[in-house]
Amino acid sequence: MRTLTTDVLVIGGGATGAGVLRDLALRGIRCALVEKGDLTHGTTGRYHGLLHSGGRYVVKDPQSAEECARENEILRRIMPHCIEDTGGLFVVTPADDESYADRFVAACRRTGVWVEEIAVSAALRREPLLNPRISRAFAVRDGAADSFLATHANTDDARRYGAQVLTYHVVNGLERVGDRIIGAVCEDLRSGEMVRIHCAAIINATGAWAGKIAALAGLQVSVVAGKGTMVAMNHRIVNTVINRCKMPDDGDIIVPIHTVAVLGTTDIYVPDPDVYSITPEEIRLILDEGEHLIPGVRRMRALRAWAGVRPLYREEDATHDRDIPRTYRLLDHEVRDGVAGMVSIVGGKWTTYRLMAEETVDVVAHRLGVTTPCRTAELRIEASAQPAAPLRPAISHGSAARARFAILASPFYMLGHRLAEVEADDSYGDLVCECELVTREQLEAAIESEGTANLDDLRRDTRLGMGPCQGGFCTYRAAAIWHERRSARYGQAAGAAPATRLLTHFLQERWKGLTPTLWGDQLRQARLDELIYLETLAVDRLPEAIPDETIVTGHAAIATEAG
Amino acid sequence: MHEAIVIGAGLSGLMGALALAEAGLRPLVLAKGHGATHWASGTIDLWGKDERSPRDALRSIVTARPEHPYALIGVDAVADALARFRAVTEAARYPYVGGMDHSVLLPTAAGALRPVALLPITMAAGDVRAGGEMVIAGFHELRDFYPPLAAANLAAQGIAARGVYLQLPPVPRVRDFGPRTLAQLFDDPAFRKQIGRQLRQQRGSATRIGLPAVLGVRDPLGVVADLQLLSGAQVFEIPTLPPSVPGIRLFNVLRAAIERSGGRLQIGSEVIRAEGVGHILTTLCSEAAAREQQHRVRRVLLATGGIAGGGIRTNDAGLVRETALDLPVRMDVNHAGWFAPRFLDPGGHAIYAAGVAADDRLRPLGVDGWPVYENVAVAGATLAGADTLRERSRTGVAIATGWAAGRMLAAYGCDATRSY
Amino acid sequence: MGVMPHDHIELSLEQSLDHCIKCNICTAACPVSAVTDLFPGPKYVGPQAQRFRHERQPAPDESVDYCSGCRVCNEVCPTGVKIAELNARARARLVAERGIPLRNRLISRSEVLGRLGAGPQAPLANLALGFGPLRLALERVLGIARAAPLPKFSRYTFRSWFRRRSAPMANSGPRRQVVYFHGCATNYYEPWVGRAAVAVLEHNGCEVIIAPQRCCGLPLLSNGDFAAARRAHEANVAYLAPYALRGVPIIGTSTSCTLTLKEEAPELLGMRSAMVRTVAEQTFDIFEYLRMMYECGELRADFRPIERTLPYHPPCQLRAHRIGRPALDILELVPGLRLVESHADCCGIAGTYGLKREKYQIGMDVGAPLFETIRRSGSDLAVCDSETCRWQITHGAGVAARHPIEILAKAYGLVI
Repeated sequence: MRTLTTDVLVIGGGATGAGVLRDLALRGIRCALVEKGDLTHGTTGRYHGLLHSGGRYVVKDPQSAEECARENEILRRIMPHCIEDTGGLFVVTPADDESYADRFVAACRRTGVWVEEIAVSAALRREPLLNPRISRAFAVRDGAADSFLATHANTDDARRYGAQVLTYHVVNGLERVGDRIIGAVCEDLRSGEMVRIHCAAIINATGAWAGKIAALAGLQVSVVAGKGTMVAMNHRIVNTVINRCKMPDDGDIIVPIHTVAVLGTTDIYVPDPDVYSITPEEIRLILDEGEHLIPGVRRMRALRAWAGVRPLYREEDATHDRDIPRTYRLLDHEVRDGVAGMVSIVGGKWTTYRLMAEETVDVVAHRLGVTTPCRTAELRIEASAQPAAPLRPAISHGSAARARFAILASPFYMLGHRLAEVEADDSYGDLVCECELVTREQLEAAIESEGTANLDDLRRDTRLGMGPCQGGFCTYRAAAIWHERRSARYGQAAGAAPATRLLTHFLQERWKGLTPTLWGDQLRQARLDELIYLETLAVDRLPEAIPDETIVTGHAAIATEAG
Repeated sequence: MHEAIVIGAGLSGLMGALALAEAGLRPLVLAKGHGATHWASGTIDLWGKDERSPRDALRSIVTARPEHPYALIGVDAVADALARFRAVTEAARYPYVGGMDHSVLLPTAAGALRPVALLPITMAAGDVRAGGEMVIAGFHELRDFYPPLAAANLAAQGIAARGVYLQLPPVPRVRDFGPRTLAQLFDDPAFRKQIGRQLRQQRGSATRIGLPAVLGVRDPLGVVADLQLLSGAQVFEIPTLPPSVPGIRLFNVLRAAIERSGGRLQIGSEVIRAEGVGHILTTLCSEAAAREQQHRVRRVLLATGGIAGGGIRTNDAGLVRETALDLPVRMDVNHAGWFAPRFLDPGGHAIYAAGVAADDRLRPLGVDGWPVYENVAVAGATLAGADTLRERSRTGVAIATGWAAGRMLAAYGCDATRSY
Repeated sequence: MGVMPHDHIELSLEQSLDHCIKCNICTAACPVSAVTDLFPGPKYVGPQAQRFRHERQPAPDESVDYCSGCRVCNEVCPTGVKIAELNARARARLVAERGIPLRNRLISRSEVLGRLGAGPQAPLANLALGFGPLRLALERVLGIARAAPLPKFSRYTFRSWFRRRSAPMANSGPRRQVVYFHGCATNYYEPWVGRAAVAVLEHNGCEVIIAPQRCCGLPLLSNGDFAAARRAHEANVAYLAPYALRGVPIIGTSTSCTLTLKEEAPELLGMRSAMVRTVAEQTFDIFEYLRMMYECGELRADFRPIERTLPYHPPCQLRAHRIGRPALDILELVPGLRLVESHADCCGIAGTYGLKREKYQIGMDVGAPLFETIRRSGSDLAVCDSETCRWQITHGAGVAARHPIEILAKAYGLVI
């Protein structure tokens, strides 16, 4: 068993854990993070990508609304490259209670959420697919956030300050001596090696899994796992975040993020955050509700569906998940349970991850006697990806090059960013994933990067396979490139079996998300993909074609979808 | 008034049109676009679900699965279609080899072994049972073909194989090296000369060299011959991701044969509805600029494909429909049962067996079990009764039912009873 | 920054990208990306890039400008993505952002050019345009390829001929009225095509009306000048609707003009009034119309034999009508005459595309297979329905090129 010593161990590689890690590192606290899968593999990687303006919560949960409104501005400042400034609209559809709108505006004023009513005609001009029968429209400062990128940006920045990140490390036990937790025992899922981590404090930032981690120390934390299902549409049917102007409920929001628009969400209690599935009824509900916002949406092409589990902290009995406040809770187990050495941070939402981290680290730092103040709200996180492609001088049309430059130079992410890069580089012939414009160079860099274990990890890094064909063309290419890079590193001895397993595993991962929305064009696409993999490539006849359940992401500990 | 219209320009439609054209009926092929020829490998696969020979497998299907497309037409009709197909490709100097007696195992671009019944001669040296060490060679510039992976998988199956990358000679193109562009380059003798020389250097002890299936569009046999001469090894093509160069060649061969016999292709015209009188279909309407184009017609061959081809379409409510003539679709499983949990489930996904049920003259059947139209035949993936992709019988079913449908339609109205 | 007011036609265009299953059939068929790296192909530039374009953000890509608009991609797409229209729209956005280069403004004004050059001054204008140093200057200053095929102005316009000619002898019986849409090419460059059309129509018992008309607007559309194209189409609809509403068909010999009236203008410009639709529905390619007459048994069959075998190129803009090969259907009725279809994708000119300095060679490379087919046929005459294609064929293959209506007029023995 390997042993590792640090001051603070962060458990959980989602937004909160990564934010905590950066906060610790910036305060000069020695720290390490363990994550049982890849970064953002849990809820962070499975949310719709909304940067809340706060509008959604102004009536129901004013505290959350205030937090969101403040954090929204901070995140825009510190990590603009992870955020697309889409803006948001709250619209009153014929199905909505008209009186809510006035309460909504009043509550926005009270909570400091910026809002401005705009003419319905202006809203329709801005979003032509929007239901023409809406009666009022309010602009807010919603945005879209790339949670993969943001999480990596946080951990990369933390690393610069000396933090350690261990992915595919699952915590099997917490070491408790009397009323004090002194460390954790982890298993490296890739090597099978056990790692003991000694530390002065543990921050349990595992969201929906917080109860499971607390239980390892004999503590009880009641986290309600609220499953939220989302459907991604094939393209940006809207370019603005669209909310129904009503009390938050199922299926009342559309978030444009990267090349897709995400319809969401549902909220269904699941007893175990590791075991859940998507039901046809949920999909029907989401599309039915979507029709109120975008008439005809059900006839448009849905790409796939997925679900994430919200970590809702239950203090007393709430009758419905949506009644549980969306704000977060910091549980100081020394005060709460008389067990020192660990705090749990639960609840909350992506938009407030930084604030949650700040409050958590304040407590832990105080215990460690560190007085350095939090700086995460001031220090901008630099984009850690490779620098944007150099702009070549325009060949013929200066203004088109200027347009590209405007996109690439914008502090915020813009939809045309990747297209502008490909145009600037003339790299269209090098695209491995054509749908999402992932170049071979980007893919190879991701393959070489530390901790990448499979094609699904590459997907989170690069958006490989996330477009219309859902891996139909790029799975073969990516598996083959992986094979070549790893062979170059480890020699031919590795053989083709790992690549075959990655290939079939990725096809299976995509398939899981496809089946709930497979009809029309997307079914046609899936059949073409079958033609490629079964007829032309015959991958089902490869040795080891059927994925072995023990390969790393098939591990029972980190499987997050049952089927 | 058209004597015959074929809807769909995939393999089944083209074979049906060929039969109708050769019967002197001057068929018009109406198609929304190009078909699955351009997606697939260009081989004809009769059967590959198990290790039986195609002939044995087909014989047992005829009795065991009476609703299977093969069973509707019988083994002799399949043999007939294969013979005609071989003769047509032979006449076009792009011959196919093989037959029903055994499948040939060909290496795929992933290095798997794929059972094939008929294959263009440009792929023949890939037959793994022929023995001999292989070199799999490709280009870094082609993103659809990876020699090291293919070779490693072949090696894992006991086939001596080595993957190498070739240097692309200086060419006018600098960015786009898709299959079509490479095929154009191979059409140039100077280009293949340079490639041939490299192959000779890379060959080592290998007796055959597999290259991506991009060895020219115009004269692939000439390309293969040149490369063999220069490299000193047998050269064969390995199909890869769409667009398929061998598929394009096959399309061109069949189109030329149809047109030579008086048929014509109208690509870009989607048939959207039909009109009939009783059990006789009389008019087809195709989509066109500003208004529909109407075609009065005596015989119709429906070959619009299945779910991939667009002949069968589903919606979010779980409805399955036939898109051109709105024929009844046979689908035995409800929406919840369409898919197996595993993508590569050997049993396949139930939805893909959906299609139009037909009688032994391939006439479409209504829910009452009687033909909807007397003068319509259905062929290829539009037919119900099999997931031909899982069986590895897709192209076999396509040419066999296409040809049989064309022959039977040609005879329609010619015999005294008028019930062909 | 919408280029156009939003409407359902536009939305359906852009939604059509959802049909794309990435299958590369269009990539394999595109005649432009076959010969140049400057155009990444229809899939990439069309449905793929469209997912990265944003109405309210700068247009990031300019490679779309290398789309020739030939519509071969639409023709072969098995799923119904309106690729060419997506590209035309994307180009219009570029134009809206950066303005129209003077050259494109000039060559897309075919009417203005025609009025300047056609008429008694034509010999002088033709002499000037045939003058090497002037063409060199035009290339240097404006970017119009010096070798590109520019048509010769006619000494008289079709309209002036029609006005002055003696009225046809009245046949017995009621005559069906038709409006002839001659287009700019027939009016200013090739009036004999219009004369043949009038002769054939009258021979078949039609009363030919020459309504006022403007350029159909296609060159404007393909150069991204949607505002001017809209004005042109509005004018044409105003001129033609009174006839269309009465059920009088509008018949054209230019497959590009008729396609524009039928579909290109309404779709790209998002014009969907009842009048626009009626004009579209009443517009016919001349052979499409003759084929309908034939199917109804109303086409005269008094053909004289023409013992010839001629290469025939169905132009892209005809194929985009999705009506098959009406000229073949009719001309094959002529005893002895055999037309052999080219199967070449495109001649490369694509309206004004091949005139542009930076695209001239691409156009010639695109057309090379067609030119070779025609040359190999040994014929000194090729047949093609579209004027710019005929000029390009003559330029590239070195043979005369005729509209099929001229052949038909000859078969009828009509003197024109």
